Amino acid sequence: MSTLSMRLRSPLSQRIDMSPFTPRRLAGRQGSEIARIPIWLGNRQLECGELFEIDGVAGEEIIIQSESDRLDRIGAGMDGGIIRIEGDAGAYLGRGMRGGSLLLNGNAGSAAGCAMRGGLLRIEGNAGDFLGGAITGERQGMRGGTILLKGNAGDRAGDLMRRGMILIEGDCGDYCASRMIAGTLFVNGQTGSQTGYAMRRGTLITTRVPASMPASFNDNGLQHLNFLTLLGEEIQRHTNFSRIMDRARPPRRWLGDLSCDGKGEILFWD
Amino acid sequence: MLIKLEGGRIYDPANNIDGEAGDLYIRDNAIVAAPGENETVHRTYALAGKIVMAGAIDLHTHIGGGKVNIARTMLPEDQRDHVMAKSDLTRSGGGHAAPSTLAAGYRYAEMGYTSCFEPAVLPSNARQAHMEMADTPIIDTGGYAMLGNDDLLLQLIADGAEQQTINDYVAWTLQATQCIGIKVVNPGGINAFKFNQRALDVDDAHPHYRITPREIVAKLSRALHELAVPHPLHVHASNLGVPGNYLSTLATMEAAGGLPIHLTHIQFHSYGTEGERKFSSSAAQIAEAVNNHTNVSIDVGQIMFGQTVTVSGDTMAQHANHNHAHPRKWTCMDIECEAGCGVVPFRYRDKNFVNALQWAIGLELFLMVDDPWRVFLTTDHPNGAPFTSYPHLIRLLMDRSFRNDLLGEINPDAASASHLGSLQREYSLYEIAIMTRAAPARILGLTDRGHLAPGALADITVYHQHEDPEQMFAKPMLVFKAGDLVVEEGRISKPVKGTTQVVRPEYDPAIEKEIGRWFERYHSISLQNFGISDDEMAEGIGSRVTVHPCREGRP
Repeated sequence: MSTLSMRLRSPLSQRIDMSPFTPRRLAGRQGSEIARIPIWLGNRQLECGELFEIDGVAGEEIIIQSESDRLDRIGAGMDGGIIRIEGDAGAYLGRGMRGGSLLLNGNAGSAAGCAMRGGLLRIEGNAGDFLGGAITGERQGMRGGTILLKGNAGDRAGDLMRRGMILIEGDCGDYCASRMIAGTLFVNGQTGSQTGYAMRRGTLITTRVPASMPASFNDNGLQHLNFLTLLGEEIQRHTNFSRIMDRARPPRRWLGDLSCDGKGEILFWD
Repeated sequence: MLIKLEGGRIYDPANNIDGEAGDLYIRDNAIVAAPGENETVHRTYALAGKIVMAGAIDLHTHIGGGKVNIARTMLPEDQRDHVMAKSDLTRSGGGHAAPSTLAAGYRYAEMGYTSCFEPAVLPSNARQAHMEMADTPIIDTGGYAMLGNDDLLLQLIADGAEQQTINDYVAWTLQATQCIGIKVVNPGGINAFKFNQRALDVDDAHPHYRITPREIVAKLSRALHELAVPHPLHVHASNLGVPGNYLSTLATMEAAGGLPIHLTHIQFHSYGTEGERKFSSSAAQIAEAVNNHTNVSIDVGQIMFGQTVTVSGDTMAQHANHNHAHPRKWTCMDIECEAGCGVVPFRYRDKNFVNALQWAIGLELFLMVDDPWRVFLTTDHPNGAPFTSYPHLIRLLMDRSFRNDLLGEINPDAASASHLGSLQREYSLYEIAIMTRAAPARILGLTDRGHLAPGALADITVYHQHEDPEQMFAKPMLVFKAGDLVVEEGRISKPVKGTTQVVRPEYDPAIEKEIGRWFERYHSISLQNFGISDDEMAEGIGSRVTVHPCREGRP
């Protein structure tokens, strides 16, 4: 498998747009050609080669090495192949991605995986606000694929989420699963205040009692839900925290948000 | 600086020049007569075989004001998917259905347009509208102030006020809002909507004021006539988009009582109720009426297939259509009790019976109205389609076989319900020059443009001769704006700034007392903060005012 590596030469003074660098868009291009791809740095247009050391052959895999959190839109719109990021990513990581794997070993900025439609986004560190959310002004967020976050998420994780799965091993900020339309959001840690705010449908599963839920959520009692076993198997393919499914007690289900459709569910073990 | 445009084929209908080769001379900002032999010509453009016309004029295009801004905010995807990067000369912009001010100005100029008129300036929003238009580069702009749904006018009419009082109010509005014309949108209907009425036909009484749209149209068209304002009342008639509304449209024509009246985006007002689906073309009836009423002028408001956004003051119609919103988001609101505002994104589909028939109806109107001096080329940007589709529309009018090819692709039921296939007419370049230059200038009273005689403003567009009119009109070779070469080969070469076109009919300032009382009691700002002065236009808003004369011989 051919690999292209891009190493950031020095810390950036401005944010840059990395969306031109996906395996599909670079396919068949020479290193020297890639080095001439224009990048806007503030109000100046530079060539990619001025900012990055480029090595290897463009193919299935791209490795981005950086010590900057100002690389925005890495893997935006990617539809196949692998991008590995050694370091941090800026905002809009994997925005609208449709396929392939986007693997980050550092922290991601806000709106990671927003409007995602397919593929795997795996983040070893923390993520900012609006994980799996929507592009500004759009009415639907993530619509497919899987996001796996090892660290903590900021506020509004899964905002306007429509389909797909988000697995969060750490904690979430406030308004987790806000305005969620459908899909599955799994939080192994603690969720913040107003969890499930304006949730229409969809499922949020969390191990701990949320810090607070809107008043328009109602306790639906303890539930024996067979689908959790199946979901556990699916989750196990990505991570080992599905052991929570093996708990002896059934989870408690809360339904809401009645200010909207009220068909969303929050499951937790209290 | 003296510039010579040598040997181009000149199309100047205002001076009866139909494609004859000739020279034009530009000195500073104006076209001048051939200079003496000993004068130095600084620059000569050899234009043999090229087509020379005056700069085009769009008399109905929504490029500024509250509703356009709402559309821009509501559709971030429209900006996102159509980004225009900055260049050495131009600033960045974007948008397709609701382009940013900069993108609109550049693109209009790149298509050879030099003057554009925003037809729905709400008096209380006039400042904002002028600011946006001032921010629209290159083109000259102007606006039509919206009256006819404001409570003051309706109250005046209901109280049986003298025509003179109404005239004063109309003239004061033109002055205060720095506008060149008056538009009425769904006369009385927007106001009636707020009294829970969902339709108001021409002879229906307003639920509160007990007056009819017919009276409003009659009073306003008389006011403009008596004030000698060149542009007749600009009417967006009642019942927009409703099947069977051609009867309302015909009634509105009659309401003017023989005085000049301009019916805008008439395509949306030419629907019948025949056929299985109770939706049919009444273009023939409308075209016949227009042909028979020389006091009537129209612009078409052609639709084109694809994504756009409808922006209108007609809250009643927009509310009725909100279920068709695509993408599914919309808004309707009241603005300062003066009128309304509705923004509904829309996608016209060629396989949809209604949309396909709308497309055919617009073209039927173009082809069945005989006098090109009284029918104008518009898409009611962005309501029927973005203005960027004009070159395509021109090709549809000039090329019958192209038109019939497309007719074969639309919804077959709509195609067979339309007479379009049987219409032989093809517009000539001369006729296109009439409907996009000479006629709009004439109906707006702009004596300084729309023609190429000495003394005219040097707004000139030069096209390459091309078999395909779409390509020809999409990318002019040269565009001059007031003597400056602003576009070369379809690219901006000098981003200049335009001015704002206004008219100033005289009025009795005593009317301000009455308006002041109304403002004090009901309005959100005081009268003295309402009007826009020439200084504010030039210095605050950033667009100088060009005052155009009223018609000679006030009746």
